[in-house]
Amino acid sequence: MQTFLNLLEVEPIRLLISFGAVLFLVLNLAAVLTMAERKVSGYIHLRYGPNRVGPRGLLQPAADVFKLFSKENVSPGRSDLWVFLGAPIAMFIPAALVWVVVPFAPDAVVADLNVAILFFVAITSIGALGVVMAGYGSRSAFSLLGALRGAAQMISYEVPLILSLLGVVMLTGSLSLVDVVQAQGDTIWTWYFLPQLPMFITFYIAGLAEVKRVPFDLPEGESEIVGGFMVEYSGMTWALIQAAEFASMAVISAVTVTLFVGGWQPPLPFLDLGPFNWVWFGIKTALIMFTFQWIRWSVPRLRMDQLMDLGWKVLVPVTLIWLFVTAGAMLVF
Amino acid sequence: MLGEERRAEHEGALTEPPSSRLVSPDIRDEFGLETIDMSMGPQHPAMHGLLRLILALDGETVVRCDPVMGYLHRCHEKIAENRMYPAVIPLTDRLDYFANMHNEHGYCLAVEDLLDVEIPPRAEYIRVLMCELMRLASHIPSIGFLMLELGAFTPILYAFRERERIQSIFEAVTGARMMFHYIRIGGVKADLPPDIPQKIWEYIESLEAHFQRDFVDLIQGNEIFISRTRNVGKMTQEQAVEMGVTGPALRCTGVDFDIRLDYPYSIYPELQFEVVTDTAGDVEASYRVRIAECLQSISLIKQCLEKMPEGEVMGDTGRRIRPDEGEGFGRVESPRGEYAVHVVSDGSDTPYRVHYRDPSFCNMQLLQEIVPGHYLPDIMPIMGLVDPVSGGWDK
Repeated sequence: MQTFLNLLEVEPIRLLISFGAVLFLVLNLAAVLTMAERKVSGYIHLRYGPNRVGPRGLLQPAADVFKLFSKENVSPGRSDLWVFLGAPIAMFIPAALVWVVVPFAPDAVVADLNVAILFFVAITSIGALGVVMAGYGSRSAFSLLGALRGAAQMISYEVPLILSLLGVVMLTGSLSLVDVVQAQGDTIWTWYFLPQLPMFITFYIAGLAEVKRVPFDLPEGESEIVGGFMVEYSGMTWALIQAAEFASMAVISAVTVTLFVGGWQPPLPFLDLGPFNWVWFGIKTALIMFTFQWIRWSVPRLRMDQLMDLGWKVLVPVTLIWLFVTAGAMLVF
Repeated sequence: MLGEERRAEHEGALTEPPSSRLVSPDIRDEFGLETIDMSMGPQHPAMHGLLRLILALDGETVVRCDPVMGYLHRCHEKIAENRMYPAVIPLTDRLDYFANMHNEHGYCLAVEDLLDVEIPPRAEYIRVLMCELMRLASHIPSIGFLMLELGAFTPILYAFRERERIQSIFEAVTGARMMFHYIRIGGVKADLPPDIPQKIWEYIESLEAHFQRDFVDLIQGNEIFISRTRNVGKMTQEQAVEMGVTGPALRCTGVDFDIRLDYPYSIYPELQFEVVTDTAGDVEASYRVRIAECLQSISLIKQCLEKMPEGEVMGDTGRRIRPDEGEGFGRVESPRGEYAVHVVSDGSDTPYRVHYRDPSFCNMQLLQEIVPGHYLPDIMPIMGLVDPVSGGWDK
């Protein structure tokens, strides 16, 4: 035990072990989230959701994973096989990699980069590559349309996403996520979502679009293009795409919490749990993810032109104006 | 209201007809622009039944849309020629499987037209009661389908909850949940069970109590719903009339054509109701028309229950139904429009020819006309406006 703890002091080994732990967490999170999604949708739909496998259906994700592992991996006859098979991996790796910079608790972060926000922005935009690869490799009109939509959507929503981060960066004066959390303090009214409310809302909406959730799930659009870029996938490749989607949804929630809702900080000073402050991080992230799912089952889907309108004509101006407001306020006070 | 300004701006952008988005053929040839051909259906998860649309796409804009039918063709008209008159009724159940009662009613009206049989008033009331319940069981899910096609999954489950309850009533009355075989030539199969009028009344009261909440408040004011449906699938009165469109799809353009009033049948002249119309002629208007028609149906059901007379439920048609040589015609207002049956008799106990005019089939012509120029995701709400049922268009 002691030798293991000593090993954790050695830098590359600590990085590898902690990244392994985070990867394990992400994969399990994706499985738990599929379960949560189905339960939440069930209760919104006035039905039970999965309740057969294990106590209250809790083992359903395990059964799902077992089924997906045992399925044959079918690829379309004239598909571009390497691109087709590479796409799920190209989607999953960025989604898992962003977790490296997310601080779970004061010292619990895989790598406290001093450019963590830049890292987050750079890595999430790689996700669009996987979507395009999937659409191109499948050789299907539905997939191609989905991929084109996905690329257009993810690239244009990257802009308000980045702009809405800048307010926080200006207030903190640092690109490190640990600094951002520490600067927010341990009371609910000093967290950035209050002074940066328009930015918080913009980040939330752009984040929804970035992870392709309803009302921005046009790349999937199951009622018009059936499943978009993932229509030809089955078995484990499909499971990997799903895992990537849920992992990126979780990471967007986690980053939202880190940037605007105080990360691991307790809402009031006397609620400080000391070494267990990661519980606060978990609760906040789960709440944000719940709102994602709540929206998912409550509203219809936008159309491509309306989506672009919203991004460029509403979100970008809002963030630019609030950037000026923030800068002015910082000059005055 | 939040977004009111943006909506006005959006409407301004859409006042030009969607066909203005199409690139003219000359420019297409000059620059060598190509379109993607896409086959949508017949195995498409959101398509209404087994319909195939052959689309030509210019990016997201639909340039051409050709519906292909026939994937559910079961030769019902031909089979009917070899069956005795009463034995055709179960076949009509299988036409438009969201309006079974109307199918049976239309066929029975046509044969009764040949026979000159007197139908007892109680049977007429039961028929109308069942048909209006059926209209509710069809309109409410079609609102749910529209929302499903827009990407909202929840309303369909609320809608099917209502349909399940109505089907339970049907099960108690007829013994079947979908293929009823209940309306017979000369009347109905059996009287209502004694406790059923009370149960229908209770159900209708409870539906009235939460109809506004579940199907209007949740949907009508939603910004995304409005932006996806307003000015989508817009057609003029002339277009709709020329293409022979009937039902809510016609009434949402402002034409107050309703078989129940214009060509009255059964006891409809004795009941109080009005034809609901809207002027917009787009998907949102068709949604509003369906909602208002549901309320009309609720009132009709109540009137039927209040006025229902006592007495027999089956007229005297003789042991074998063998009409004289001639032609019979019956038309009813099904949830999708005018459903008409033409029966030709050669004096034997099987019909010489049966023809069904099904609204799903006739309304389908709309697609070719109004879809080009819309974006690909708009096809689905337009299908919700037309609301065809594959059993209906394929027969």
